[in-house]
Amino acid sequence: MRSLAIIAALVAAPFFLSASASAAEECEAKSWNLSGQQKACFSAKVVDILCEVAGNCPANCGDGKRQLGLLRTDNGKLVYPQKNLQSTFNGAVADLAPHCGKTIDVRGWLVGDEETLKGAAQLYQVQWIRAEGGEWKKANKWTKDWAKKNPDAKGKGPWFRRDPRVKEEIDEGGYLGLGPDEDIVFIKDNY
Amino acid sequence: MSGLTRVLALGLALLPGIALASEGKRIEIKGELIDTWCYFSGVMGGPEAVTGSAHHTCALWCAAGGIPVGLLGEDGEVYMVLKLPDDDNSAGGDTFVELTNDTINAEGMMYERDGLKYLVVSEVISNDGVANLTHEDYGVIPGFAIPKKKIKAVTVE
Repeated sequence: MRSLAIIAALVAAPFFLSASASAAEECEAKSWNLSGQQKACFSAKVVDILCEVAGNCPANCGDGKRQLGLLRTDNGKLVYPQKNLQSTFNGAVADLAPHCGKTIDVRGWLVGDEETLKGAAQLYQVQWIRAEGGEWKKANKWTKDWAKKNPDAKGKGPWFRRDPRVKEEIDEGGYLGLGPDEDIVFIKDNY
Repeated sequence: MSGLTRVLALGLALLPGIALASEGKRIEIKGELIDTWCYFSGVMGGPEAVTGSAHHTCALWCAAGGIPVGLLGEDGEVYMVLKLPDDDNSAGGDTFVELTNDTINAEGMMYERDGLKYLVVSEVISNDGVANLTHEDYGVIPGFAIPKKKIKAVTVE
């Protein structure tokens, strides 16, 4: 039994060392004045959340189509990254997907306060990512990925005004989601 | 749990490549599919203002942008949605965009892991559409959700 404990401790040791090495650096992240924000820098393995919680595990974490999580090396807890560093309504998967199954360092903020969390764990905004042996890079890949996937949507203005799916939804359901006729009533009453 | 078992469990949990799937519970739940970033982060105001019709356009942007969608249950808790029927593309998949802000009655498996509740929806039993009419109290959030040219086109008619 003692040898089993020693093996387990040896297996875990590099991860604890990695976490403490990361923590020894200054934890730099830009404040967005988010509800309940707490600066958080840690090492973590990038995982497919559906695989982690439900055992549904396609190859390569779902190739960037599924939400990805951060399995912290210091405490083994699964952290949910909701957001990247960009300010235009973008998630974090484009930045995390290239690191599927690998351990990375991240800098960012744990987010959420008791009013909305109601006892649940805080979620995460990832601002910076460092691959093993690499340099820190901003988590800002989403819009470039979108432009590659939507070459016909080139034009002026931000992506969210040009996105074909968003435009289709608004054409059908209006800006309020209640149908285009309700938009007209709302605009006439409020502008 | 003995000290030895604890050490072994932690060591195994930290091993790369081992997914420790949790046991799920089959549930039926009613709630609104929301943009979780604006809801939890407070970037656009209080939680009531970033649900329903007031926030619909922004929630579409966020769903298409790959921000996680959650189901805000009638119990006030948020269940992070990992799969909708026939669509496990939870980072911006078509079904996630199409059902934005809809109030649905769903059946599926609920999992709990490290302080969050996760939902894998197997069936949408009923769909009330955008039924949370928050625009009546909050207008549109953010204020630029409806573009100026649309407002001008309507108001100069």
